[in-house]
Amino acid sequence: MGIIELKGLEVRLGNRIVLDGLTGELRGRSIGLLGPNGAGKSTLINTLLGFHPSSKGSAKVFGLDTYRDRAQIRGQIGYMPENDSFIGNMSGVHFVRYMAELAGLPSHRALERAHEALFCVGLGEVRYRKVNSYSLGMKQLIKLAQALAHGPKLLILDEPTNGLDPIARQRMIQLIKDIRQEGSVHLLISSHLLRDIDETCDEVLILKRGRIAELCNIEEERRSNRSFMELETVGATEKFSISVRGLGCECASFPDGRMKLVIPDHIEARDLYVVAAEQGVQIRRMNQRRDSLEDIFLRAMDMESERPPHVGV
Amino acid sequence: MSVYKHEYRAYSGPVTPAWTRILVVARYGFAEAWSSKITVGLFILCLIPPLIALFGIYLANNPLARALIAHAAPRTVGIDANFFLGVLQVQSWFALVLASWIAPRLVNFDLADNALPILFSHPISRVGYILGKYMVLFGMLSVVTWVPELLLFAYQSYSAAQPWANGHLQIASGLFVGTALWIALVSILGLALSSLVKWRGVATGIIFAAVFVPAGIGAIVSGVLRTKWGFLLNLPFIMSLLWQRLLGVEGAIVSQVSLPSGAIMTMLALICLLCAAILNARIRAREVVRG
Repeated sequence: MGIIELKGLEVRLGNRIVLDGLTGELRGRSIGLLGPNGAGKSTLINTLLGFHPSSKGSAKVFGLDTYRDRAQIRGQIGYMPENDSFIGNMSGVHFVRYMAELAGLPSHRALERAHEALFCVGLGEVRYRKVNSYSLGMKQLIKLAQALAHGPKLLILDEPTNGLDPIARQRMIQLIKDIRQEGSVHLLISSHLLRDIDETCDEVLILKRGRIAELCNIEEERRSNRSFMELETVGATEKFSISVRGLGCECASFPDGRMKLVIPDHIEARDLYVVAAEQGVQIRRMNQRRDSLEDIFLRAMDMESERPPHVGV
Repeated sequence: MSVYKHEYRAYSGPVTPAWTRILVVARYGFAEAWSSKITVGLFILCLIPPLIALFGIYLANNPLARALIAHAAPRTVGIDANFFLGVLQVQSWFALVLASWIAPRLVNFDLADNALPILFSHPISRVGYILGKYMVLFGMLSVVTWVPELLLFAYQSYSAAQPWANGHLQIASGLFVGTALWIALVSILGLALSSLVKWRGVATGIIFAAVFVPAGIGAIVSGVLRTKWGFLLNLPFIMSLLWQRLLGVEGAIVSQVSLPSGAIMTMLALICLLCAAILNARIRAREVVRG
């Protein structure tokens, strides 16, 4: 059974369809949620939390319906929202304890867990200060602490590195990795930063205009991926690309002689130089690399299909 | 338990029953309300009138004490429905002051820092959350209204030379029902109006305005249209009418305008429904964009 199961999920806000027929099963230990602004990432998270009912289809978390069984699901979820969300008048430990008690921990256990969670995220020294006196980075961390305090089975992090400086970001990423390493928590991380998802997730769900553009296991994708080569050429690029395809490469041509090739294992760079010499094409730049999350994301966003019509694949 | 351990670990301990989460909201609400010295001051102020009334009952029932202060106060207070109506009215308006201070503290801190998404991501419903906050207000207002009023009634029953309580049970029931109606109304009104704004001072002002501004409008409507129904907007007036009837002193207080109890109760129910609609619209985890 997957952690999250979506079956033709449609969510409407007013008359607007925000999520349109999402179907898929998320099984990863750490799942990345990607998509441009307005793709429906936050709406999907809110739906999983039971804030929005589905107008069609269903969404399940741990096999429970997200709207009908929302109280049960919320007891097993820790949620770190994107925007500021806290009670500024309370001290850090008081706030985290309150949230832990709301999640169902008895008062004395909630206090223990609040202290532990605050030390865990690195706010141990400032836990008696009022939350509204915290810096932006600290506010991000206290949101994480309250999400962790009750020991959730699924931790939903909405833009966890938002507004953090590079050092704080690195620390947050490391924290997420440590939590993932511990093994008892599944993570669903929404972010605009591909690098964050790349570093912390093993599965990615990419949304575009309320639909699933891609759902893949990053590790498997990487394993199955062939090596890529980016070329900048001068000369008869069209003929060159036909010849390269004859070698068994997949080839995408872009304006200004730029090309992107997927190279089979038996082809080496030297073979390309030979073909280029035969066609009278100059190779000005050659860059070989493996597929990245960025490529997966761009592919999902149909960047290549939106290129001018003369660009061929 | 070592709190200094910095690594995350799962929780496998006991979990409280779902219904107790309302009590968690109420407990933290009480703590928030009492964290202000102004709350303590107002609370003490609210308990001064019952102490004065207690002294009045003592004087009225103690011939020796009456004789001792006979030259200073030749007239003693009669302990009857009018006396308790006075106590009820004073306490009710003190309760409004207390509610206008406490209600914004209960709601505005959560709204000011957008805490609702985090609160409702936990297993507590919106109804449970509001109920928890409501319990705080109703509980605190009870302590300054019907509890001391019924204690005064009990003391009068105990102090009176002749059997007094049996003949005046309507006063006790009137005190309880009249005050309970008022604090129930003030509590929901306070929470609803506090949820409209993020600033506590403004919320306090709005609560007072919601009680007294419609009263003025009602008087204008009644004056212009020459109708008594405009007085239905006058909350202090309709509550006074209701209290008089509940305590059985209707004939004693001269009032040129009389409104049917059914109309008054309908008006109070409408106010409660309006407040419930405001709370439903404002106490949400997320703003829903229509269109």
